[in-house]
Amino acid sequence: MDSHLMPRGVRRCPLAQFLLWILPWCALLAFGLYGAGLCLVKGLNQTNMDNRFAFGLWIFLDLTAIALGAGAFFTGFLLYILKKSELKAVINSAVVIGFICYSGAVAALLVDVGQPLRFWFTFWHPNVHSMLTEITFCITCYLTVLCIEYVPIVLKNRKLRQIPSFLVFEFELHKSMPVLAGVGTFLSFFHQGSLGGLYGVLRGRPFAFREGFAIWPSTFFLFLLSAAAAGPAFILLTTWVVSKISGKQLVRAAVLPLLGRISGVLLIPYVLLKSVDTLVWIDRTAPARGFAAHQFFIWKPFGAWMLFAEILLFGLLPALILLRRHLRQSTGWLVSAAVLVCLGVTLNRFVLTLQTLSLPTLPFDAFLTYMPSWQETATFLAVVAYGVLIYSFSFRYLTLFPEEKDLPQPVRSHETERVVMEPVC
Amino acid sequence: MLGHVVFLGIFYIVLLVIVGTLSASVFRAARDFREHREEATCWQATFPDLPARERVCRHVFTGEFKHRICDQAFDCRQCQQHAALVAKRPADAAAQVDRYYHRGHAWAQPEPDGTVTIGLDPLGAALVAHPDSIELPAVGSHIQVNGAAWHLHKRGADVRILSPVDGEVVATGGPEERWFLKVKPDGGKLDARHLLRGAEIRPWMTREMERLHSALAPAGQAPTMADGGVMVDDIAAGYPEADWESICGEIFLQA
Repeated sequence: MDSHLMPRGVRRCPLAQFLLWILPWCALLAFGLYGAGLCLVKGLNQTNMDNRFAFGLWIFLDLTAIALGAGAFFTGFLLYILKKSELKAVINSAVVIGFICYSGAVAALLVDVGQPLRFWFTFWHPNVHSMLTEITFCITCYLTVLCIEYVPIVLKNRKLRQIPSFLVFEFELHKSMPVLAGVGTFLSFFHQGSLGGLYGVLRGRPFAFREGFAIWPSTFFLFLLSAAAAGPAFILLTTWVVSKISGKQLVRAAVLPLLGRISGVLLIPYVLLKSVDTLVWIDRTAPARGFAAHQFFIWKPFGAWMLFAEILLFGLLPALILLRRHLRQSTGWLVSAAVLVCLGVTLNRFVLTLQTLSLPTLPFDAFLTYMPSWQETATFLAVVAYGVLIYSFSFRYLTLFPEEKDLPQPVRSHETERVVMEPVC
Repeated sequence: MLGHVVFLGIFYIVLLVIVGTLSASVFRAARDFREHREEATCWQATFPDLPARERVCRHVFTGEFKHRICDQAFDCRQCQQHAALVAKRPADAAAQVDRYYHRGHAWAQPEPDGTVTIGLDPLGAALVAHPDSIELPAVGSHIQVNGAAWHLHKRGADVRILSPVDGEVVATGGPEERWFLKVKPDGGKLDARHLLRGAEIRPWMTREMERLHSALAPAGQAPTMADGGVMVDDIAAGYPEADWESICGEIFLQA
């Protein structure tokens, strides 16, 4: 029914099945928009955050989404700057994932900021001493870049491309991709790092405070490295999930192991730096602020197990798997390692956002607990639903995996046609 | 103060680069239209999106390569590899032929008066036989190699036929005349280096027939080939259920 809108040479499920798939996500999005609307209309009293616990579920979502969306800039950097042409197979998907992650994060921030109509204050009255200013500038600019990178993918829709002006503009815009990839890399280098630096400079929060290099605390470099490692792993994971759900071979067999290898190569220096950073923090930074490191881990449910899980289970283990060629060739190992990498970056952002704020910093402070309100949770889920919907529509109507049409595809039952063979005599 | 200027300056430079990049793209696109290069640009944008099986180099047909994907968007006039291979061929292989074929199923026939007649080859003609409507360019308009020469509409499919020549349209025909356009080529002489000829035509057409059989095969089943016989005049009539837009897109090189 809508096959004339799909890329030529690929098959998608029937429209009814697609509508059935998007229905629950639309319902979730509507529910989330209602929750977000309440926060916008009635104010942030709809949340369980307060002046002491000012970063909650939404900031955790933002940090995680931006880390997982790093695949867009890093894949673009490898493809357009370092000319790693094999990644052409996933660049469109990476751009869409990046666009979803960053636009979702910005949407959540607009609710989180409490006064969305004053969002422009940060540009007009910038506090140049705050890392948040740099982050705001970078994320806004990079989202603009991602929108521009998304445009050619949309303009190549089967119907839209029949309009010559769209196709000509797409072609000319595509020529500028190396420039945009360079700008994206520059912006990502700073905002991915500064998101970590934001915590590292919190002198009053010794759990997060870190020493570093020049004006940058060590968390600046750790965030940057972990995002660069997690981005390709998330692309690997989404490609595999979409391939499983759609029943299609989307990329050549060598592409996913390559993404795994890139992720593994970046994870090793991350794990190394993270280990050194943790040891320096235990031995010098925390004691210098009047704390023994073990004191931070006595508050349940947080414990030292989270630190070990972050470094060993979600860092070293997947890095070792991804660096072994024969393990990378096994889909089971490859996907498991990618899941671990993504969980690792998620846990890291959770720890720095929520554990940091929970822990007492003064002798008379209590351990704070925080549980998001249903409005916060609904808004969080709305961003997830938004992401699934944008990706689902993009996958159905746009070319996210250019190699798909050249690959042999398994046939599903709804795609077969019954042929009645007449007897010859 | 200096720090503030540097900090804000960097980001406003980044913004300028983004806006400049976007503006440059708009400017280049406008220039393409102003200089009437939009057809060539559309083809340049379309070609990489064609499946690899449709972008096979013509020298694969003649066995000079086992496997090669064209990197010149079927414009062999720019291809050094093509020039080198043609130079190696024996002289009789490059003998004069009466018509040339374009990969998009149009043929071009030089006429004694210097014009070039353009029509559809048998496969192309059978796919869009008895079209619902035809859009031919106006006499006096200019067409470009690999740009849209004319459009045909059949059973929901908007088929654009790629032009085999650069030139000015001097007359228009139709399916009944068995030709569609007469063109006065640019430079007064047909440059046919990019067009198929002689020994290339049979293997190319065989391959095209195979592609058509694959496209027409019911989903999930192996393509079957006719055992003898001749091609019917109107293939679409034999496949009332087929997605004709997809099939025409496959054969007429539409992404």
